[in-house]
Amino acid sequence: MMSRRTLILGLGNDILTDDAVGLRIASELSGDPMIRQAGAEVLCSTEMGLALLDLIDGQDELFILDSIQTTEAAPGFIHILHGGELAKLPGVSPHFLGIGEMLALGRELHLHLPEKVTIYAIEVADPFTVGNCLSPVLEARLPSLVNEIRGHILASVGRKRPSQELPSGCEAGVKHSGASTASDTQPETLFRAEA
Amino acid sequence: MTGPSVGGRRRIAIDPITRLEGHGKIDIFLDDAGDVERACLQIPELRGFEVFSIGRPAEEMPQITSRICGVCPTAHHMAATKALDDLYKTEPTPTARKIRELVYNAFMMEDHALHVYILGGPDFIVGPDAPKEMRNVVGVIQKVGLETGKRVIGMRKSLRELIAYFGGKVIHPVLGLPGGVSKGLALEDLPRFQQLAKDAVEFGEFTLGVFRDIVLKNESYVDMIRSEDYTHKTYYMGMVDDRNRVNFYDGQLRVVRPDGQEYATFHPRQYAEFIAERVEPWSYVKFCYLKSLGWHGFDNPKSGIYSVAPLARLNASEGFTTPRAQRAYEEFFQVLGGKPVHHTLANHWARVIELLHAAERIHELVNDPQLTGTDIRNIPQRTPSVGIAAVEAPRGTLFHHFETDERGLIRKANLIVATQNNSARISMSVEKAAKGLIRKGQVTDGLLNRIEMAFRAYDPCFGCATHSLPGHLPLSVTIYNSHREFIRRLQQD
Repeated sequence: MMSRRTLILGLGNDILTDDAVGLRIASELSGDPMIRQAGAEVLCSTEMGLALLDLIDGQDELFILDSIQTTEAAPGFIHILHGGELAKLPGVSPHFLGIGEMLALGRELHLHLPEKVTIYAIEVADPFTVGNCLSPVLEARLPSLVNEIRGHILASVGRKRPSQELPSGCEAGVKHSGASTASDTQPETLFRAEA
Repeated sequence: MTGPSVGGRRRIAIDPITRLEGHGKIDIFLDDAGDVERACLQIPELRGFEVFSIGRPAEEMPQITSRICGVCPTAHHMAATKALDDLYKTEPTPTARKIRELVYNAFMMEDHALHVYILGGPDFIVGPDAPKEMRNVVGVIQKVGLETGKRVIGMRKSLRELIAYFGGKVIHPVLGLPGGVSKGLALEDLPRFQQLAKDAVEFGEFTLGVFRDIVLKNESYVDMIRSEDYTHKTYYMGMVDDRNRVNFYDGQLRVVRPDGQEYATFHPRQYAEFIAERVEPWSYVKFCYLKSLGWHGFDNPKSGIYSVAPLARLNASEGFTTPRAQRAYEEFFQVLGGKPVHHTLANHWARVIELLHAAERIHELVNDPQLTGTDIRNIPQRTPSVGIAAVEAPRGTLFHHFETDERGLIRKANLIVATQNNSARISMSVEKAAKGLIRKGQVTDGLLNRIEMAFRAYDPCFGCATHSLPGHLPLSVTIYNSHREFIRRLQQD
């Protein structure tokens, strides 16, 4: 019997200030021994919509880390959404394919998609300014965000461990790999913790 | 579908549409009588791009700009690469130019396929009158069939593999260098791209067939395309070759008048002589217009409002270089009553024709012996100062303008993106839809759907992030009274 595949997927734009927060958290989690031990693969992608389908196809469980701006919560607040909440397909999207639509499309095409999807949407302060550092408020909150999400993920996959102190700082952020051999089946992978 | 009416004087600050990518926020301003005075699609402005760029080597701009936008990374990469050619006054070698064109047409085709089948599909493939629960990607797949759905996904994947072969990454390509490209095509890899090209042309013809069968054979669809509700008589701009035929990668910008006559043809370097931007107090969108005609308001035909994107490219050109697209071009104008076509919804059809042209161009290029040449770069020798270039992004003309010191470090950087070029006409379309459905403060059902259809035809890009929370993207319409006070928001479920 094949082992269960779990993917932790950081999303964002690494040069739009706080929009990178999902990438930063995933970057920290990729080096975490407990996450490795739990058998979870950690990937980052700066792509969207349909392109993510290639990453998600074949996974059993999916955790997405991304930014959000509702302005109804303080920067650093973690909104936790579940796949079922995104699965409904009422009207249509003006321009793009969201995660809910992508999952629905993948199922329609009979792809193997994760039956369990958890989304950690981090409330951000500034996702509009071009820059490769988080805003100070989010930078300060980053270690605790990593710990909270790490704990939540480990609990979810059934291997919860005590949290660890993790480094922060924009220099420790996601690094782009420049020229790479990434292909469509492995798009925009900035790092891969566990194959 | 519609939310409860909310009173009070609070000026709305919450924007529930969080991902930049799909920032579908519409503002509608009413007059004292409760009728629509102004409506606008708000597009968030990217902040700090120039500050971020200043002091960086110009050679980084193709990477930086492609990272800014997750929708058109290849368009930004190519526009910036061409601006570097101009900056160093170095032309790419013939092989390098063809490789760039091949990659660019693959990108155009992939992006157009996504819109035709997935994003715009609910409006035409499923149909505007279909039940709401079917007007989405699942409805599209059910209408065209599972095999076609798989074919679309497979075609897109092959095209992305081609882009990745040369550029390494689709979203952060590293292909373009001033005077050339970083990677050539190995002869042993040619056969698979020749097969891809053959498949691409078949896919293009198939897609045109799907459009004919589903849309053109349905009289009510064609009537809707032609309807006054979705018609605006503006100027049109698009890139053309030396015989005024559509070219996505390189050429002059041609502008035609609302009567179809040529207004101007200019080199991208001259963009600032021809294009100006207007800021209105009620919007943070910059509205582009033709400078010499001036700005006289949205409703005044004297205003130099112009449009870009597929319909504009067909209107501004005199045809295609490839035979299948040329035939489809002739059919397009014949069915829609001659040039120019002013019907916004005709953008969907024009996009299908462009998809076919991109496929044919890919086919031509992979069968060109020069493509596998090994001379892929001219080394820049000149001292840099100013570099300006343009490409046709899927959603319209994209300008890049860089200025550097003598060492090639950026001193000034300016972009005019496609949706900005289109912003005035998009707002006119949104406003027309709103005016038809809001009278004396009463909102008719179907407003959101009508507004969506009005602007989705342009395939607008709302920003420059790259991803997708919260998944389903609700369109949000906010209505203000004559004192600019918030009175109501309508939002999709």
